[in-house]
Amino acid sequence: MIARATRAIIGRELTRMLRQRGRLLSAMIRPLIWLLVIGGGVGAMLEQHGSGDYQQFLVPGLLCMVLLFGAMLASLSLVYDKESGVMRMLVIAPFSHYWIILARTVSAAIAGLVQVLLLLAILAILGYLSLPIQFALLALGLVLTALLCAAFGMLIAVFSKSLDNFAVIMNFIIFPVFFLSGALYPLEHLPLWLKSITLINPFTYGVDLLKHALISNEAGALAPEFSIVQGIFIQIGCIIAALFVACLRFTQAPVMESLASILSCRRQ
Amino acid sequence: MQASAIECRGLTKQYGDVRAVNELTLNVADGSFFGLLGPNGSGKTTTIHMLSTLARPTVGSIRVAGYDVLKQPVQARACIGLVFQESALDRSLTVAENLHFAGALYGLDATTVEQRLAELLDLFDLESKREVRVAALSGGMRRALDIARGVLHRPRVLFLDEPTIGLDIINRRAIWRFISRLRQEHGMSVLLTTHYLEEAEGCDEVAFLRHGQLIGQGQPSDLIRALGHYILEIETDQPDYYIEQLSSELGTPVQEDERLLFAIQDEDFQFGALQQRLQHEVRALQLRKPDLNDVYIWRNQPTGKGEAA
Ligand SMILES: Nc1ncnc2c1ncn2[C@@H]1O[C@H](COP(=O)(O)OP(=O)(O)OP(=O)(O)O)[C@@H](O)[C@H]1O
Ligand SMILES: [Mg+2]
Repeated sequence: MIARATRAIIGRELTRMLRQRGRLLSAMIRPLIWLLVIGGGVGAMLEQHGSGDYQQFLVPGLLCMVLLFGAMLASLSLVYDKESGVMRMLVIAPFSHYWIILARTVSAAIAGLVQVLLLLAILAILGYLSLPIQFALLALGLVLTALLCAAFGMLIAVFSKSLDNFAVIMNFIIFPVFFLSGALYPLEHLPLWLKSITLINPFTYGVDLLKHALISNEAGALAPEFSIVQGIFIQIGCIIAALFVACLRFTQAPVMESLASILSCRRQ
Repeated sequence: MQASAIECRGLTKQYGDVRAVNELTLNVADGSFFGLLGPNGSGKTTTIHMLSTLARPTVGSIRVAGYDVLKQPVQARACIGLVFQESALDRSLTVAENLHFAGALYGLDATTVEQRLAELLDLFDLESKREVRVAALSGGMRRALDIARGVLHRPRVLFLDEPTIGLDIINRRAIWRFISRLRQEHGMSVLLTTHYLEEAEGCDEVAFLRHGQLIGQGQPSDLIRALGHYILEIETDQPDYYIEQLSSELGTPVQEDERLLFAIQDEDFQFGALQQRLQHEVRALQLRKPDLNDVYIWRNQPTGKGEAA
Protein backbone atom coordinates (compact mmCIF):
# COMPACT_ATOMS: atom_id res chain seq x y z
CA MET A 1 0.00 0.00 0.00
CA ILE A 2 2.79 2.38 0.92
CA ALA A 3 4.51 1.33 -2.30
CA ARG A 4 1.55 2.60 -4.30
CA ALA A 5 1.58 5.88 -2.44
CA THR A 6 5.31 6.27 -3.01
CA ARG A 7 4.93 5.54 -6.71
CA ALA A 8 2.21 8.18 -6.89
CA ILE A 9 4.44 10.73 -5.20
CA ILE A 10 7.25 9.96 -7.63
CA GLY A 11 4.86 10.05 -10.57
CA ARG A 12 3.59 13.45 -9.52
CA GLU A 13 7.13 14.80 -9.30
CA LEU A 14 7.98 13.62 -12.79
CA THR A 15 4.72 14.89 -14.25
CA ARG A 16 5.39 18.29 -12.79
CA MET A 17 8.96 18.29 -14.05
CA LEU A 18 7.94 17.40 -17.57
CA ARG A 19 5.23 20.08 -17.52
CA GLN A 20 7.75 22.75 -16.64
CA ARG A 21 9.52 22.56 -19.98
CA GLY A 22 11.20 25.91 -19.52
CA ARG A 23 12.84 24.80 -16.32
CA LEU A 24 13.92 21.53 -17.87
CA LEU A 25 15.39 23.35 -20.82
CA SER A 26 17.33 25.78 -18.67
CA ALA A 27 18.52 22.86 -16.55
CA MET A 28 20.15 21.50 -19.71
CA ILE A 29 21.44 24.79 -21.00
CA ARG A 30 23.01 26.01 -17.76
CA PRO A 31 25.72 23.31 -17.61
CA LEU A 32 26.30 23.51 -21.34
CA ILE A 33 27.04 27.20 -21.05
CA TRP A 34 29.51 26.49 -18.26
CA LEU A 35 31.12 23.77 -20.31
CA LEU A 36 31.42 25.75 -23.52
CA VAL A 37 32.03 29.25 -22.22
CA ILE A 38 33.95 28.80 -18.94
CA GLY A 39 35.36 25.43 -19.88
CA GLY A 40 36.41 26.64 -23.31
CA GLY A 41 37.95 29.85 -22.01
CA VAL A 42 39.76 28.55 -18.96
CA GLY A 43 40.70 25.41 -20.87
CA ALA A 44 42.42 27.44 -23.56
CA MET A 45 44.38 29.33 -20.92
CA LEU A 46 45.42 26.16 -19.08
CA GLU A 47 46.45 24.41 -22.27
CA GLN A 48 49.22 26.97 -22.71
CA HIS A 49 50.62 25.76 -19.41
CA GLY A 50 50.35 22.20 -20.57
CA SER A 51 47.80 21.05 -17.98
CA GLY A 52 45.22 18.39 -18.77
CA ASP A 53 41.89 18.74 -20.54
CA TYR A 54 39.90 21.26 -18.49
CA GLN A 55 36.61 20.65 -20.27
CA GLN A 56 36.83 16.98 -19.41
CA PHE A 57 37.61 17.99 -15.86
CA LEU A 58 34.45 20.09 -15.69
CA VAL A 59 32.06 17.31 -16.77
CA PRO A 60 31.72 15.56 -13.36
CA GLY A 61 31.12 18.87 -11.63
CA LEU A 62 28.51 19.89 -14.16
CA LEU A 63 26.64 16.61 -13.78
CA CYS A 64 26.58 17.31 -10.07
CA MET A 65 25.39 20.83 -10.79
CA VAL A 66 22.39 19.41 -12.62
CA LEU A 67 21.64 17.23 -9.60
CA LEU A 68 22.11 20.15 -7.26
CA PHE A 69 19.61 22.26 -9.12
CA GLY A 70 17.30 19.43 -10.14
CA ALA A 71 17.08 17.43 -6.93
CA MET A 72 17.56 20.22 -4.44
CA LEU A 73 14.99 22.51 -6.03
CA ALA A 74 12.55 19.61 -6.31
CA SER A 75 12.99 19.01 -2.58
CA LEU A 76 12.61 22.68 -1.80
CA SER A 77 9.26 22.66 -3.56
CA LEU A 78 8.05 20.98 -0.37
CA VAL A 79 7.76 24.51 0.96
CA TYR A 80 5.38 25.38 -1.87
CA ASP A 81 3.47 22.21 -1.12
CA LYS A 82 3.04 23.40 2.43
CA GLU A 83 1.45 26.57 1.15
CA SER A 84 -0.71 24.82 -1.43
CA GLY A 85 -3.16 22.06 -0.70
CA VAL A 86 -0.99 19.09 -1.53
CA MET A 87 0.48 18.88 1.93
CA ARG A 88 -3.02 18.53 3.36
CA MET A 89 -3.58 15.56 1.07
CA LEU A 90 -0.33 14.02 2.26
CA VAL A 91 -0.69 14.57 6.00
CA ILE A 92 -4.16 13.04 6.15
CA ALA A 93 -3.07 9.96 4.18
CA PRO A 94 -2.66 6.73 6.13
CA PHE A 95 1.08 6.51 6.59
CA SER A 96 3.52 8.01 9.07
CA HIS A 97 4.44 11.58 8.39
CA TYR A 98 8.16 10.86 8.12
CA TRP A 99 7.30 8.84 5.06
CA ILE A 100 6.29 12.05 3.31
CA ILE A 101 9.86 13.26 3.75
CA LEU A 102 11.42 10.00 2.59
CA ALA A 103 9.16 9.62 -0.44
CA ARG A 104 9.62 13.25 -1.43
CA THR A 105 13.38 12.83 -1.10
CA VAL A 106 13.38 9.80 -3.36
CA SER A 107 11.13 11.51 -5.88
CA ALA A 108 13.30 14.62 -5.90
CA ALA A 109 16.39 12.49 -6.41
CA ILE A 110 14.71 10.71 -9.31
CA ALA A 111 13.72 14.02 -10.87
CA GLY A 112 17.38 15.07 -10.64
CA LEU A 113 18.56 11.77 -12.10
CA VAL A 114 16.25 12.04 -15.09
CA GLN A 115 17.73 15.45 -15.83
CA VAL A 116 21.27 14.19 -15.44
CA LEU A 117 20.60 11.30 -17.83
CA LEU A 118 19.32 13.78 -20.37
CA LEU A 119 22.48 15.84 -20.00
CA LEU A 120 24.65 12.73 -20.27
CA ALA A 121 22.95 11.92 -23.55
CA ILE A 122 23.54 15.44 -24.82
CA LEU A 123 27.18 15.33 -23.73
CA ALA A 124 27.66 11.97 -25.41
CA ILE A 125 26.23 13.32 -28.63
CA LEU A 126 28.43 16.42 -28.46
CA GLY A 127 31.46 14.20 -27.78
CA TYR A 128 32.33 15.46 -24.32
CA LEU A 129 32.29 12.01 -22.74
CA SER A 130 35.50 10.15 -23.20
CA LEU A 131 36.21 6.52 -22.49
CA PRO A 132 37.02 4.73 -20.31
CA ILE A 133 33.92 5.28 -18.19
CA GLN A 134 33.31 3.19 -15.10
CA PHE A 135 29.59 2.79 -15.50
CA ALA A 136 28.80 1.13 -12.18
CA LEU A 137 30.67 3.80 -10.30
CA LEU A 138 29.05 6.50 -12.40
CA ALA A 139 25.59 5.17 -11.53
CA LEU A 140 26.46 4.88 -7.85
CA GLY A 141 27.96 8.35 -7.76
CA LEU A 142 24.96 9.91 -9.48
CA VAL A 143 22.44 8.15 -7.24
CA LEU A 144 24.30 9.09 -4.06
CA THR A 145 24.79 12.68 -5.12
CA ALA A 146 21.14 12.96 -6.17
CA LEU A 147 20.02 11.64 -2.79
CA LEU A 148 22.47 13.94 -1.04
CA CYS A 149 21.14 17.03 -2.82
CA ALA A 150 17.54 15.94 -2.28
CA ALA A 151 18.14 15.22 1.41
CA PHE A 152 19.77 18.59 2.05
CA GLY A 153 17.01 20.32 0.10
CA MET A 154 14.53 18.56 2.37
CA LEU A 155 16.46 19.68 5.43
CA ILE A 156 16.21 23.30 4.31
CA ALA A 157 12.58 22.87 3.32
CA VAL A 158 11.37 21.55 6.68
CA PHE A 159 13.01 24.43 8.49
CA SER A 160 11.94 27.27 6.23
CA LYS A 161 8.64 28.99 6.58
CA SER A 162 8.30 30.30 3.08
CA LEU A 163 10.22 30.46 -0.13
CA ASP A 164 9.85 34.18 -0.49
CA ASN A 165 13.57 34.14 0.16
CA PHE A 166 14.20 31.90 -2.80
CA ALA A 167 16.94 34.16 -4.09
CA VAL A 168 18.59 33.93 -0.70
CA ILE A 169 18.68 30.16 -0.94
CA MET A 170 20.08 30.32 -4.46
CA ASN A 171 22.80 32.81 -3.55
CA PHE A 172 23.74 31.54 -0.13
CA ILE A 173 23.31 27.83 -0.54
CA ILE A 174 23.24 26.53 -4.07
CA PHE A 175 25.99 28.66 -5.60
CA PRO A 176 28.46 28.39 -2.68
CA VAL A 177 27.90 24.65 -2.47
CA PHE A 178 28.73 24.40 -6.14
CA PHE A 179 31.71 26.76 -6.16
CA LEU A 180 33.27 25.28 -3.04
CA SER A 181 33.20 21.68 -4.14
CA GLY A 182 36.09 21.00 -6.44
CA ALA A 183 33.73 21.12 -9.39
CA LEU A 184 35.56 24.05 -10.97
CA TYR A 185 39.12 23.61 -9.72
CA PRO A 186 41.17 21.05 -7.80
CA LEU A 187 41.26 21.51 -4.05
CA GLU A 188 44.83 20.59 -3.41
CA HIS A 189 46.46 23.99 -3.59
CA LEU A 190 43.66 26.08 -2.13
CA PRO A 191 44.43 28.31 0.86
CA LEU A 192 43.66 26.54 4.10
CA TRP A 193 40.44 28.39 4.99
CA LEU A 194 38.96 27.74 1.59
CA LYS A 195 40.06 24.16 1.59
CA SER A 196 38.52 23.56 5.03
CA ILE A 197 35.17 24.75 3.74
CA THR A 198 35.33 22.49 0.73
CA LEU A 199 36.23 19.54 2.93
CA ILE A 200 33.11 19.91 5.06
CA ASN A 201 30.95 20.39 1.99
CA PRO A 202 29.46 16.93 1.39
CA PHE A 203 28.83 17.83 -2.24
CA THR A 204 32.61 17.78 -2.74
CA TYR A 205 32.66 14.03 -2.30
CA GLY A 206 29.94 13.51 -4.88
CA VAL A 207 31.92 15.48 -7.43
CA ASP A 208 35.02 13.49 -6.58
CA LEU A 209 33.23 10.17 -6.96
CA LEU A 210 32.15 11.16 -10.45
CA LYS A 211 35.71 12.17 -11.26
CA HIS A 212 36.70 8.60 -10.40
CA ALA A 213 34.03 7.30 -12.74
CA LEU A 214 34.60 9.64 -15.67
CA ILE A 215 38.15 10.97 -15.66
CA SER A 216 40.14 8.36 -13.79
CA ASN A 217 42.77 8.49 -16.49
CA GLU A 218 43.26 12.20 -15.93
CA ALA A 219 46.71 12.68 -14.47
CA GLY A 220 48.25 15.26 -12.17
CA ALA A 221 46.43 18.22 -10.76
CA LEU A 222 43.06 17.41 -12.32
CA ALA A 223 42.81 13.87 -10.94
CA PRO A 224 40.34 12.77 -8.22
CA GLU A 225 41.54 13.64 -4.73
CA PHE A 226 39.74 11.31 -2.33
CA SER A 227 39.39 7.56 -2.30
CA ILE A 228 36.22 5.95 -3.65
CA VAL A 229 35.40 4.35 -0.30
CA GLN A 230 35.83 7.66 1.45
CA GLY A 231 33.45 9.33 -0.99
CA ILE A 232 30.79 6.66 -0.70
CA PHE A 233 30.77 6.52 3.09
CA ILE A 234 30.85 10.24 3.67
CA GLN A 235 27.92 10.70 1.31
CA ILE A 236 25.86 7.90 2.82
CA GLY A 237 26.56 9.29 6.29
CA CYS A 238 25.47 12.79 5.29
CA ILE A 239 22.32 11.53 3.58
CA ILE A 240 21.26 9.56 6.63
CA ALA A 241 22.05 12.42 9.00
CA ALA A 242 20.17 15.00 6.91
CA LEU A 243 17.11 12.77 6.50
CA PHE A 244 17.11 11.88 10.16
CA VAL A 245 17.01 15.51 11.21
CA ALA A 246 14.48 16.42 8.53
CA CYS A 247 12.12 13.60 9.55
CA LEU A 248 12.49 14.44 13.21
CA ARG A 249 11.71 18.07 12.60
CA PHE A 250 8.79 17.36 10.31
CA THR A 251 7.13 14.88 12.64
CA GLN A 252 7.81 16.85 15.81
CA ALA A 253 6.48 20.18 14.63
CA PRO A 254 2.72 19.67 14.78
CA VAL A 255 1.81 19.66 11.14
CA MET A 256 -1.35 21.67 10.97
CA GLU A 257 0.00 24.29 13.31
CA SER A 258 3.05 24.89 11.19
CA LEU A 259 0.82 24.97 8.11
CA ALA A 260 -1.36 27.55 9.77
CA SER A 261 1.57 29.70 10.78
CA ILE A 262 2.92 29.57 7.24
CA LEU A 263 -0.41 30.73 5.88
CA SER A 264 -0.69 33.47 8.45
CA CYS A 265 2.83 34.81 7.89
CA ARG A 266 2.10 34.89 4.17
CA ARG A 267 -1.05 36.91 4.70
CA GLN A 268 0.72 39.56 6.70
CA MET B 1 -24.30 -0.33 23.56
CA GLN B 2 -23.46 1.01 20.15
CA ALA B 3 -19.81 1.70 19.41
CA SER B 4 -18.74 5.29 18.95
CA ALA B 5 -17.35 6.62 15.69
CA ILE B 6 -15.75 9.50 17.54
CA GLU B 7 -15.18 9.79 21.22
CA CYS B 8 -13.20 12.52 22.92
CA ARG B 9 -12.80 13.49 26.53
CA GLY B 10 -11.49 16.67 28.11
CA LEU B 11 -10.07 17.82 24.81
CA THR B 12 -8.13 21.05 25.20
CA LYS B 13 -5.91 22.97 22.83
CA GLN B 14 -3.84 25.88 23.94
CA TYR B 15 -2.17 28.19 21.40
CA GLY B 16 -0.02 30.54 23.44
CA ASP B 17 -2.56 32.60 25.35
CA VAL B 18 -5.49 31.42 23.27
CA ARG B 19 -7.43 28.43 24.47
CA ALA B 20 -8.85 27.36 21.12
CA VAL B 21 -10.67 24.33 22.51
CA ASN B 22 -11.57 23.98 26.16
CA GLU B 23 -12.33 20.65 27.83
CA LEU B 24 -14.49 19.37 25.04
CA THR B 25 -16.17 16.01 25.50
CA LEU B 26 -18.08 14.59 22.56
CA ASN B 27 -19.52 11.27 21.60
CA VAL B 28 -20.57 10.62 18.02
CA ALA B 29 -22.44 7.35 17.61
CA ASP B 30 -21.42 5.02 14.82
CA GLY B 31 -23.26 5.84 11.61
CA SER B 32 -24.64 9.11 12.86
CA PHE B 33 -24.56 12.57 11.38
CA PHE B 34 -23.16 15.08 13.82
CA GLY B 35 -23.02 18.85 13.49
CA LEU B 36 -20.46 21.02 15.23
CA LEU B 37 -21.70 24.59 15.14
CA GLY B 38 -20.33 27.85 16.39
CA PRO B 39 -19.18 31.30 15.40
CA ASN B 40 -15.90 32.09 13.63
CA GLY B 41 -12.97 31.26 15.83
CA SER B 42 -14.95 29.07 18.21
CA GLY B 43 -12.59 26.16 17.70
CA LYS B 44 -14.37 23.95 15.16
CA THR B 45 -11.44 23.53 12.79
CA THR B 46 -9.01 23.05 15.67
CA THR B 47 -11.28 20.30 17.02
CA ILE B 48 -11.44 18.59 13.64
CA HIS B 49 -7.67 18.74 13.28
CA MET B 50 -7.20 17.15 16.67
CA LEU B 51 -9.79 14.45 16.00
CA SER B 52 -8.18 13.64 12.67
CA THR B 53 -4.64 13.27 14.09
CA LEU B 54 -3.31 16.49 12.55
CA ALA B 55 -2.95 18.56 15.68
CA ARG B 56 -1.86 17.34 19.07
CA PRO B 57 -4.23 18.12 21.92
CA THR B 58 -2.71 19.92 24.88
CA VAL B 59 -4.83 17.67 27.09
CA GLY B 60 -7.41 15.02 26.38
CA SER B 61 -8.02 11.65 24.83
CA ILE B 62 -9.56 10.78 21.47
CA ARG B 63 -10.77 7.60 19.84
CA VAL B 64 -11.87 7.54 16.23
CA ALA B 65 -13.26 4.38 14.64
CA GLY B 66 -12.03 2.50 17.68
CA TYR B 67 -8.42 3.71 17.43
CA ASP B 68 -6.63 5.83 19.95
CA VAL B 69 -5.71 8.78 17.78
CA LEU B 70 -2.61 9.67 19.76
CA LYS B 71 -1.20 6.15 19.82
CA GLN B 72 -2.37 4.79 16.46
CA PRO B 73 -2.61 7.79 14.15
CA VAL B 74 -1.93 5.82 10.99
CA GLN B 75 -4.67 3.26 11.61
CA ALA B 76 -7.03 6.06 12.54
CA ARG B 77 -6.22 8.02 9.37
CA ALA B 78 -6.96 4.96 7.26
CA CYS B 79 -10.58 5.17 8.46
CA ILE B 80 -10.85 8.93 8.18
CA GLY B 81 -11.91 11.14 5.31
CA LEU B 82 -11.33 14.85 5.74
CA VAL B 83 -12.55 17.72 3.63
CA PHE B 84 -10.48 20.65 4.84
CA GLN B 85 -11.81 24.14 5.20
CA GLU B 86 -9.15 25.16 2.67
CA SER B 87 -8.54 23.35 -0.56
CA ALA B 88 -6.41 20.20 -0.50
CA LEU B 89 -5.64 19.79 -4.17
CA ASP B 90 -2.62 20.08 -6.41
CA ARG B 91 -3.36 23.01 -8.68
CA SER B 92 -0.73 22.00 -11.19
CA LEU B 93 -2.36 18.62 -11.83
CA THR B 94 -5.57 17.91 -13.69
CA VAL B 95 -8.84 16.86 -12.08
CA ALA B 96 -8.30 13.20 -12.91
CA GLU B 97 -4.65 13.28 -11.86
CA ASN B 98 -5.59 14.75 -8.51
CA LEU B 99 -8.07 12.01 -7.74
CA HIS B 100 -5.70 9.31 -8.93
CA PHE B 101 -3.00 10.77 -6.72
CA ALA B 102 -5.32 10.95 -3.72
CA GLY B 103 -6.55 7.41 -4.36
CA ALA B 104 -3.03 6.03 -4.56
CA LEU B 105 -2.20 7.62 -1.21
CA TYR B 106 -4.87 5.34 0.26
CA GLY B 107 -3.54 2.35 -1.63
CA LEU B 108 -6.46 2.17 -4.04
CA ASP B 109 -5.71 0.57 -7.40
CA ALA B 110 -6.20 2.50 -10.60
CA THR B 111 -9.33 0.59 -11.68
CA THR B 112 -11.15 1.32 -8.45
CA VAL B 113 -10.16 4.97 -8.60
CA GLU B 114 -11.24 5.20 -12.23
CA GLN B 115 -14.64 3.77 -11.40
CA ARG B 116 -15.25 6.09 -8.45
CA LEU B 117 -13.80 9.01 -10.34
CA ALA B 118 -16.28 8.56 -13.15
CA GLU B 119 -19.12 8.40 -10.66
CA LEU B 120 -17.97 11.46 -8.75
CA LEU B 121 -17.34 13.55 -11.85
CA ASP B 122 -20.77 12.61 -13.11
CA LEU B 123 -22.31 13.58 -9.79
CA PHE B 124 -20.72 17.03 -9.84
CA ASP B 125 -21.15 17.48 -13.55
CA LEU B 126 -17.40 17.75 -14.04
CA GLU B 127 -16.84 15.12 -16.76
CA SER B 128 -15.92 17.76 -19.28
CA LYS B 129 -13.25 19.05 -16.87
CA ARG B 130 -11.53 15.70 -16.41
CA GLU B 131 -8.30 16.73 -18.09
CA VAL B 132 -8.38 20.35 -16.97
CA ARG B 133 -5.87 21.62 -14.44
CA VAL B 134 -7.31 22.43 -11.07
CA ALA B 135 -5.93 25.96 -11.31
CA ALA B 136 -8.33 26.53 -14.22
CA LEU B 137 -11.47 25.45 -12.35
CA SER B 138 -13.95 27.80 -10.73
CA GLY B 139 -13.91 28.05 -6.96
CA GLY B 140 -17.08 26.00 -6.64
CA MET B 141 -15.84 23.26 -8.95
CA ARG B 142 -12.66 23.07 -6.92
CA ARG B 143 -14.73 22.71 -3.77
CA ALA B 144 -16.74 19.91 -5.34
CA LEU B 145 -13.53 18.18 -6.31
CA ASP B 146 -12.24 18.59 -2.78
CA ILE B 147 -15.27 16.76 -1.48
CA ALA B 148 -14.87 14.07 -4.11
CA ARG B 149 -11.30 13.64 -2.90
CA GLY B 150 -12.43 13.38 0.71
CA VAL B 151 -14.80 10.48 0.08
CA LEU B 152 -12.84 8.69 -2.64
CA HIS B 153 -11.57 5.97 -0.32
CA ARG B 154 -14.96 5.42 1.33
CA PRO B 155 -13.94 6.47 4.84
CA ARG B 156 -15.79 5.12 7.87
CA VAL B 157 -15.69 8.52 9.50
CA LEU B 158 -15.95 11.64 7.39
CA PHE B 159 -15.05 15.10 8.64
CA LEU B 160 -16.50 17.96 6.65
CA ASP B 161 -15.16 21.40 7.57
CA GLU B 162 -17.52 23.88 5.94
CA PRO B 163 -17.77 21.68 2.86
CA THR B 164 -20.34 23.58 0.86
CA ILE B 165 -18.88 27.05 1.17
CA GLY B 166 -18.97 28.69 -2.26
CA LEU B 167 -21.13 26.03 -3.87
CA ASP B 168 -24.30 26.79 -5.75
CA ILE B 169 -27.57 25.35 -4.56
CA ILE B 170 -27.68 22.57 -7.18
CA ASN B 171 -24.25 21.27 -6.27
CA ARG B 172 -24.92 21.71 -2.61
CA ARG B 173 -27.99 19.51 -2.84
CA ALA B 174 -26.17 16.99 -4.99
CA ILE B 175 -23.50 16.73 -2.34
CA TRP B 176 -25.95 16.17 0.47
CA ARG B 177 -27.81 13.52 -1.51
CA PHE B 178 -24.49 11.82 -2.19
CA ILE B 179 -23.35 12.02 1.43
CA SER B 180 -26.62 10.61 2.66
CA ARG B 181 -26.31 7.77 0.13
CA LEU B 182 -22.83 6.97 1.40
CA ARG B 183 -24.17 6.99 4.93
CA GLN B 184 -26.90 4.54 4.01
CA GLU B 185 -24.76 2.25 1.88
CA HIS B 186 -21.60 2.19 3.97
CA GLY B 187 -22.79 3.21 7.41
CA MET B 188 -20.42 6.15 7.25
CA SER B 189 -20.41 8.56 10.19
CA VAL B 190 -20.15 12.25 9.45
CA LEU B 191 -18.98 15.18 11.53
CA LEU B 192 -19.93 18.45 9.91
CA THR B 193 -19.14 22.05 10.62
CA THR B 194 -21.08 24.64 8.71
CA HIS B 195 -22.42 28.14 8.90
CA TYR B 196 -25.43 27.16 6.75
CA LEU B 197 -27.62 25.91 9.53
CA GLU B 198 -30.32 24.50 7.26
CA GLU B 199 -27.75 21.87 6.37
CA ALA B 200 -27.34 20.97 10.01
CA GLU B 201 -31.07 20.45 10.53
CA GLY B 202 -30.64 17.00 9.02
CA CYS B 203 -28.12 16.09 11.71
CA ASP B 204 -28.91 13.43 14.28
CA GLU B 205 -27.25 15.64 16.82
CA VAL B 206 -25.65 19.07 16.93
CA ALA B 207 -23.26 20.62 19.41
CA PHE B 208 -22.70 24.33 19.87
CA LEU B 209 -19.21 25.57 20.51
CA ARG B 210 -18.34 28.98 21.81
CA HIS B 211 -14.86 30.15 22.75
CA GLY B 212 -13.83 26.52 22.48
CA GLN B 213 -16.43 25.37 24.96
CA LEU B 214 -19.46 23.22 24.51
CA ILE B 215 -22.46 25.38 25.29
CA GLY B 216 -25.23 23.01 24.30
CA GLN B 217 -25.98 19.82 22.52
CA GLY B 218 -28.99 17.86 21.33
CA GLN B 219 -31.18 16.81 18.45
CA PRO B 220 -32.02 19.75 16.24
CA SER B 221 -35.76 19.15 16.58
CA ASP B 222 -35.50 19.04 20.38
CA LEU B 223 -33.41 22.17 20.51
CA ILE B 224 -35.82 24.02 18.28
CA ARG B 225 -38.78 22.86 20.32
CA ALA B 226 -37.07 23.85 23.54
CA LEU B 227 -36.59 27.38 22.23
CA GLY B 228 -40.30 27.99 21.92
CA HIS B 229 -43.35 27.47 19.76
CA TYR B 230 -42.98 30.57 17.70
CA ILE B 231 -40.58 33.36 16.97
CA LEU B 232 -42.04 36.83 16.94
CA GLU B 233 -40.09 39.36 14.90
CA ILE B 234 -40.63 43.07 15.33
CA GLU B 235 -38.92 45.79 13.35
CA THR B 236 -39.10 49.22 14.88
CA ASP B 237 -37.36 52.57 15.23
CA GLN B 238 -37.65 52.40 19.01
CA PRO B 239 -36.37 48.99 20.00
CA ASP B 240 -35.72 49.99 23.58
CA TYR B 241 -39.29 51.14 24.05
CA TYR B 242 -40.68 47.83 22.90
CA ILE B 243 -38.25 45.80 24.92
CA GLU B 244 -39.64 47.57 27.95
CA GLN B 245 -43.24 47.23 26.80
CA LEU B 246 -43.21 43.58 25.85
CA SER B 247 -40.61 41.90 28.03
CA SER B 248 -43.01 41.30 30.89
CA GLU B 249 -45.45 39.30 28.74
CA LEU B 250 -43.07 37.79 26.15
CA GLY B 251 -39.73 37.46 27.92
CA THR B 252 -36.43 39.11 27.05
CA PRO B 253 -35.90 39.40 23.30
CA VAL B 254 -32.81 39.06 21.19
CA GLN B 255 -31.99 42.44 19.73
CA GLU B 256 -30.35 42.93 16.35
CA ASP B 257 -30.21 46.70 15.95
CA GLU B 258 -33.78 47.68 15.10
CA ARG B 259 -35.09 44.14 15.05
CA LEU B 260 -36.37 42.29 18.08
CA LEU B 261 -36.83 38.55 18.27
CA PHE B 262 -39.03 37.05 20.95
CA ALA B 263 -39.22 33.33 21.59
CA ILE B 264 -42.84 32.57 22.31
CA GLN B 265 -43.44 29.66 24.66
CA ASP B 266 -47.23 29.77 24.57
CA GLU B 267 -48.70 27.44 21.96
CA ASP B 268 -51.97 29.38 21.83
CA PHE B 269 -50.31 32.73 21.48
CA GLN B 270 -52.80 35.35 20.32
CA PHE B 271 -50.98 36.96 17.47
CA GLY B 272 -54.09 38.78 16.22
CA ALA B 273 -54.43 40.83 19.37
CA LEU B 274 -50.82 41.88 19.33
CA GLN B 275 -51.03 42.67 15.65
CA GLN B 276 -53.95 45.02 16.22
CA ARG B 277 -52.13 46.70 19.04
CA LEU B 278 -48.85 47.24 17.22
CA GLN B 279 -49.36 47.20 13.50
CA HIS B 280 -49.56 50.97 13.11
CA GLU B 281 -46.60 51.64 15.34
CA VAL B 282 -43.92 49.22 14.14
CA ARG B 283 -42.43 48.76 10.69
CA ALA B 284 -42.93 45.03 10.51
CA LEU B 285 -44.40 42.27 12.57
CA GLN B 286 -44.09 38.60 11.89
CA LEU B 287 -44.80 35.33 13.63
CA ARG B 288 -43.08 32.20 12.41
CA LYS B 289 -41.82 28.77 13.39
CA PRO B 290 -38.37 28.67 14.96
CA ASP B 291 -35.52 26.95 13.19
CA LEU B 292 -31.93 26.05 13.97
CA ASN B 293 -30.80 29.55 13.04
CA ASP B 294 -32.84 30.86 15.95
CA VAL B 295 -31.34 28.33 18.32
CA TYR B 296 -27.93 29.44 17.16
CA ILE B 297 -28.73 33.11 17.56
CA TRP B 298 -30.13 32.61 21.04
CA ARG B 299 -27.09 30.67 22.12
CA ASN B 300 -24.59 33.09 20.70
CA GLN B 301 -25.93 36.29 22.12
CA PRO B 302 -23.33 38.74 23.35
CA THR B 303 -25.21 38.97 26.66
CA GLY B 304 -24.55 35.28 27.08
CA LYS B 305 -28.07 34.08 27.78
CA GLY B 306 -27.58 30.77 26.00
CA GLU B 307 -28.54 28.17 28.58
CA ALA B 308 -26.75 24.87 28.48
CA ALA B 309 -28.83 21.89 27.52
N1 LIG C 1 -2.11 27.58 14.38
C1 LIG C 1 -2.68 28.42 15.25
N2 LIG C 1 -1.92 29.20 16.02
C2 LIG C 1 -2.47 30.04 16.92
N3 LIG C 1 -3.79 30.18 17.11
C3 LIG C 1 -4.61 29.43 16.36
C4 LIG C 1 -4.10 28.53 15.40
N4 LIG C 1 -5.16 27.90 14.80
C5 LIG C 1 -6.26 28.44 15.38
N5 LIG C 1 -5.94 29.35 16.30
C6 LIG C 1 -6.90 30.10 17.14
O1 LIG C 1 -7.80 29.18 17.71
C7 LIG C 1 -9.12 29.69 17.73
C8 LIG C 1 -10.05 28.73 17.03
O2 LIG C 1 -9.79 28.68 15.65
P1 LIG C 1 -10.52 27.69 14.66
O3 LIG C 1 -9.84 27.79 13.35
O4 LIG C 1 -10.59 26.35 15.28
O5 LIG C 1 -11.97 28.31 14.58
P2 LIG C 1 -13.22 27.86 13.70
O6 LIG C 1 -14.31 27.57 14.66
O7 LIG C 1 -12.85 26.81 12.75
O8 LIG C 1 -13.57 29.21 12.93
P3 LIG C 1 -14.17 29.44 11.45
O9 LIG C 1 -15.64 29.29 11.57
O10 LIG C 1 -13.80 30.85 11.17
O11 LIG C 1 -13.52 28.46 10.54
C9 LIG C 1 -9.04 31.06 17.07
O12 LIG C 1 -8.98 32.03 18.10
C10 LIG C 1 -7.75 31.04 16.31
O13 LIG C 1 -7.19 32.31 16.24
MG1 LIG D 1 -12.80 26.66 10.73
